[in-house]
Amino acid sequence: MSETPTSLGELTVTRIFEARPEVVFECMTTPSHLTHFWGPIGTSTPLEGITVEPRPGGRFETVMVNDETGEEYPVRGVFVEFDPPRTFSFTEAGVEGGMTTAIVFNDLGDGRTETVTHQTNVPPMLMSPEAQAGLETSFVKFDAYLATL
Amino acid sequence: MANDPLSHTFAALADPTRRAILVRLAEGEATVNELAEPFDMSLQAVSKHLKVLEAAGLISRGRDAQYRPCHFEPAPLEAATDWIVKNRQIWTERFDQLEEHLKRMTHDKEKEKQR
Repeated sequence: MSETPTSLGELTVTRIFEARPEVVFECMTTPSHLTHFWGPIGTSTPLEGITVEPRPGGRFETVMVNDETGEEYPVRGVFVEFDPPRTFSFTEAGVEGGMTTAIVFNDLGDGRTETVTHQTNVPPMLMSPEAQAGLETSFVKFDAYLATL
Repeated sequence: MANDPLSHTFAALADPTRRAILVRLAEGEATVNELAEPFDMSLQAVSKHLKVLEAAGLISRGRDAQYRPCHFEPAPLEAATDWIVKNRQIWTERFDQLEEHLKRMTHDKEKEKQR
């Protein structure tokens, strides 16, 4: 597990799995697999609450249920990209101003797969080349400041 | 998006000048004039940026009608940092469980082969 430094509103999580990209991709996009691992610790993801329409524009929906309180956390995503076993991405319009999650599956060639998950809730219109260039320069100082918070 | 505080924070921070203004204000309060100088910007342009930062709750301004010094307000940044921490946690736990799931799958397959 390695994690690259993050900018504001962005998150990158890199992970290596002991399985081929086809297998990892299928696990992450098939309801009968998702139900086993999607909800973080303390929640479960019932099969009947999972919808996967495996195509760009298709729905990607899950409902995580808090094991103790029964509180439900629905995720209402729409696939932007769906390109097995290389990548898929989805957007959640209702979350914090629009959240996009993209997962790339890299074949390590030895039966293992590296996944790079990039999540951002910066609206795409703000991610102009100028804004990106700004991220490169002034964020160095700003990240250092953030680390002290 | 308009009603979501976190979006306001990220939108306000998307501009390099506004981030630089915040970095300056994190060192201590400053007036519009003091801020305009190092950035080589008109007072009007700086005021515009300050309005966005104020709307996002990232700065507050003094009551002194003439100077109205700007103060840095860290709370929204902490909320933004919380978002990153929270989501990182979710993905880490999710992938831990996927790892376990993959192990079970391999295990079950080998069991089947042995039969």
